[in-house]
Amino acid sequence: MTETSNLHIAVVGGGPGGYAAAFLAADLGLRVTLIDPEANPGGVCLYRGCIPSKALLHVAKLIDESRHAKNWGIEYADPKIDLARLRSWKEGVVKKLTGGLGILSKQRKIEYIQGRAAFENSNTLRISKTSGGDESLTFDRIILATGSRPAIIPSLKLDTPRVMDSTSALDLNEVPGTLLVIGGGYIGLELGTVYAALGSKVSVVEMLPGLLPGADRDLVLPLHKRMEKSFASILLNTTVAAMKEEPNGIRVTLDGPEVMEREQVFEKVLVSVGRKPNSEIPGLEKTRVQIGPRGFIQVNKQLQTSDPAIYAIGDVVGEPMLAHKASHEGRTAVEAIAGHKVAFEPAAIPAVVFTDPEIAWCGLTETQAQKENHEIKVARFPWAASGRAMTVDRTEGMTKLIFDPQTERVLGVGIVGAGAGDLIAEGVLAVEMAALAKDIALTIHPHPTLSETVMEAAEVFFGTSTHIYRPKKS
Amino acid sequence: MTEFKLPELGENIDQGDLVRLMVSLGASVTEGQPVMELETDKAVVEVPSSVSGTVKEIRVKEGQKVKVGQVIFTVENGTGAKVKAVEPKTPAAKAPEEKPAPVAKAPSPPVTEARPVPASPPAVSTGATDFRLPELGENIDQGDLVRLMISPGSRVSEGQPVMELETDKAVVEVPSSVTGTVKEIKVKEGEKVKVGQVIFTLEGGASAPERAKHAPVEHISEQHEARLSLQAAIQAEGKTAAQVFLPDQPPPLAPTAFAMPEQLGKVAGTEHRAPAPAAPHVRRLAREIGVDIYEVKGTGPGGRISEDDVKAFAKSLLTSAAAAGAAQGRQFAQPELPDFTKFGKVERVSMRGVRRKTAQHLWEAWTTIPHVTQQDKADITELEQLRARFAPKAQEAGGKMTVTAIALKVCASALKVFPQFNASIDMSKEEIIYKQYINIGVAVDTDRGLLVPVLHEVDKKNIVELAAELTQLSKKARDKKLLPSEMEGGTFTITNLGGVGGTGFSPIVNFPEVAILGLSRSSMEPVWMNGKFEPRQVLPLSLSYDHRLIDGADAARFLRWIAEAFEQPFLLSVQG
Ligand SMILES: Cc1cc2nc3c(=O)[nH]c(=O)nc-3n(C[C@H](O)[C@H](O)[C@H](O)COP(=O)(O)OP(=O)(O)OC[C@H]3O[C@@H](n4cnc5c(N)ncnc54)[C@H](O)[C@@H]3O)c2cc1C
Repeated sequence: MTETSNLHIAVVGGGPGGYAAAFLAADLGLRVTLIDPEANPGGVCLYRGCIPSKALLHVAKLIDESRHAKNWGIEYADPKIDLARLRSWKEGVVKKLTGGLGILSKQRKIEYIQGRAAFENSNTLRISKTSGGDESLTFDRIILATGSRPAIIPSLKLDTPRVMDSTSALDLNEVPGTLLVIGGGYIGLELGTVYAALGSKVSVVEMLPGLLPGADRDLVLPLHKRMEKSFASILLNTTVAAMKEEPNGIRVTLDGPEVMEREQVFEKVLVSVGRKPNSEIPGLEKTRVQIGPRGFIQVNKQLQTSDPAIYAIGDVVGEPMLAHKASHEGRTAVEAIAGHKVAFEPAAIPAVVFTDPEIAWCGLTETQAQKENHEIKVARFPWAASGRAMTVDRTEGMTKLIFDPQTERVLGVGIVGAGAGDLIAEGVLAVEMAALAKDIALTIHPHPTLSETVMEAAEVFFGTSTHIYRPKKS
Repeated sequence: MTEFKLPELGENIDQGDLVRLMVSLGASVTEGQPVMELETDKAVVEVPSSVSGTVKEIRVKEGQKVKVGQVIFTVENGTGAKVKAVEPKTPAAKAPEEKPAPVAKAPSPPVTEARPVPASPPAVSTGATDFRLPELGENIDQGDLVRLMISPGSRVSEGQPVMELETDKAVVEVPSSVTGTVKEIKVKEGEKVKVGQVIFTLEGGASAPERAKHAPVEHISEQHEARLSLQAAIQAEGKTAAQVFLPDQPPPLAPTAFAMPEQLGKVAGTEHRAPAPAAPHVRRLAREIGVDIYEVKGTGPGGRISEDDVKAFAKSLLTSAAAAGAAQGRQFAQPELPDFTKFGKVERVSMRGVRRKTAQHLWEAWTTIPHVTQQDKADITELEQLRARFAPKAQEAGGKMTVTAIALKVCASALKVFPQFNASIDMSKEEIIYKQYINIGVAVDTDRGLLVPVLHEVDKKNIVELAAELTQLSKKARDKKLLPSEMEGGTFTITNLGGVGGTGFSPIVNFPEVAILGLSRSSMEPVWMNGKFEPRQVLPLSLSYDHRLIDGADAARFLRWIAEAFEQPFLLSVQG
């Protein structure tokens, strides 16, 4: 594989897909140029996605717990919120992480160009640099990692700071008295949680009959219940018919069976109705890259587009639009370019919703199994039976394992509850390793932790869970 | 359709190795006729057929293990008879007790059945709606499908590469000869595909032999419908079709669904298949050694596939391939190997594609040709100046003026003077075949192994043209774009290891050619000239030749001629 090491590759976009690809390529000895408009790598995830949102959610959780502490005999005064300080702490986190990536990129001798790339042909990029000036560079292979951006609904588009998308919501310019979140997906619910904790009265409208469409209903239920308390209202089966700016807010017209007041005024509105791939890269029509129906760049299992010189990874190639999927794809694409026989074929990609409680799942879901007539067996372990859940006063959680009834193999895992996002990792490993119910049941889990719920769910499968008594059928 | 299954062979024998199949597709068999040779633990037996008819499908391969009850082949227009034991001529033990089944359904086997076969007809070509594997070159009738570049629903147009195929000679990208929307893909990655085999069908094509039950019919139509309505909506806004496929916004409804697919293991664009029960590193190993993990039977609990399962499967592929080779009388006559595992851990990896072909080809060359290698040296000090002079011209033409490019020209001239080096031997007719054309192959080192693209009519081209063509062919070889036909028809070969180093080597003649020139790395050496030692750049030359045809003195003269041509570049430049 000597001559692949002479390859010069370009990575367009410095998000978790792009920088993971660039770093691995450099580690494998390829020559790498990484192009992104920001001063450092990071992309949406670090600058205006995963990281800032999780920093704010941490604060939200703290505020929530301090209120909740009353039940345990500890009472705090209402928090004083210094928005400027909170903002600068969050920005500090982002700066530290992206700056660190900048250093890692330099250490690997990656040529980092701050700018935007356009295609001249399949191998040549014209880069307009942030510092001014254009440069044409030719590469052996190009990896597109241009990510995605918030989708907008043209009919509801209002050019005012009162209407925010996820990016401006994370800027945290003020805490509005009332906030309407349009779209009950994970981004809307996460940001709604932040604003609710900071003091906004948050309403959520969702067009479909449930929050977090796609997730199993039994996982969503505990979250829904808790949000009914922390949010002003959750309107399902509801659409926004019109929005109009008025001096003291946005007048929103709502349509739906649950709507009591058709017209309401909100100080601010967050539109979080999904994300749209950044596949409109200038000059892309000069290549053989093909774009699919929803705007995603089409790739094969090696992440190669229909133009052999061009690969694409991350949000721009399809669902799930998640950072860890982007990184794994990035590494796979680079290995393929380096001549290894690899493919992107995970058995499970975890999804985490960082609300409170968190929801996490991986592999097969019940919803999916039903739709496809997959025969499955589900074992649920309610956290009410977990000592650890009791000690943290969060017993609303639930852990469930989805099995193949014949082989007893774990096909999917779903968890709702505090810290579900960290717990799901064991589930992903179980699915990837084709673990059997017995394997999990026979693995000693530390006590008292929430991870025991995974083991006990496997025991439930055999009807022998220590902390659940199930009368014998006779 | 009637199936012939391996009958009971005797007590305690439930399987055997299929040594030889005595029937082929389309052959007619009659009950009692021996159809296969099977090696069991106890003996080699000939197994007679219990059915009559025309062989339609053969389900086993030579070298495979077959089990009692396993289907060996199926016959058309045939009759089957219940067979109890190996006794050949037992007439049907039972009278037919079932009427011909009216519906195509797998018949419960041991029952006599006589009926025409209404089952799925062989996929009939429907003109431009099928894409079939086109001819790839002489003697290439199949290849391993390495990669498919299309999926159902994608648009293909004529000329667009749709698959990567690994043949014995190279990996090639195969372009489509049809235009349209892909409807159904009939092959899988990792499969062998044959010339003429249907690769995919196009939408609107009439050929739809019989859709597998689990085909996501509704799913597709649902998607299609969604797309149509989106299209309509966007066209209503006065946009073009191109924009429809690049939607500027999600469907123009109010709040759209949060878009995480329900099962996150399933990624848009990948086919729907439950994950194989194997750890990630095992799946990767399988991919690396070219094994389809879905074909491997796991021996672990719940059918979990281990690393050893994958290796054992690869080994079985290898042995069945070797057995198939033996049947064609091409097996490497190799003494038995010791059990290496006694000494430490080993890994067995199936030898595929280029490696397999190279191994076989070189073994044939080495065992057929009595090799001798002649060594010489050429002073290329002046040639280096010529090279510098031609370099810009070559670059203009898109090539690189390398020593190999010059050697092409030199050898072409030499072969004209020494025609026995541009020949082949036909031992069966006891004739020498002198070729009236000069086509020279150049060995190119690629990550798939050694490939030898051939430059045609080298004597009729000038150095600049040769440099450009060589650069282009080498790039194609490395990019896996070289067509098998571009590696055919050589009369002589050059192999240059100068880039790597070394002072000389013995190349193996590229059979059926009779000579090969090896170039090593040139270096500065003191050369006695005009009464003193002068530093000169010297290129080591190694000529291996077929001693059956070429005498030692001729080889020495031929190589000297080449060395002198290198030393007097003026002659070359005159020749152009
Ligand atoms: C509020 C929010 C919260 C999120 N939370 C999570 C989470 O908790 N976990 C999770 O896994 N995911 C989360 N995501 C999703 C995650 O951010 C994305 O999946 C991830 O960033 C995708 O990575 P990527 O490499 O594909 O592209 P991106 O991160 O989108 O990066 C693409 C980069 O390419 C640049 N670019 C685009 N076009 C060009 C061009 N022509 N030339 C040069 N550069 C270009 C862009 O400017 C950008 O910097 C969240 C997203 C949002 C918005």
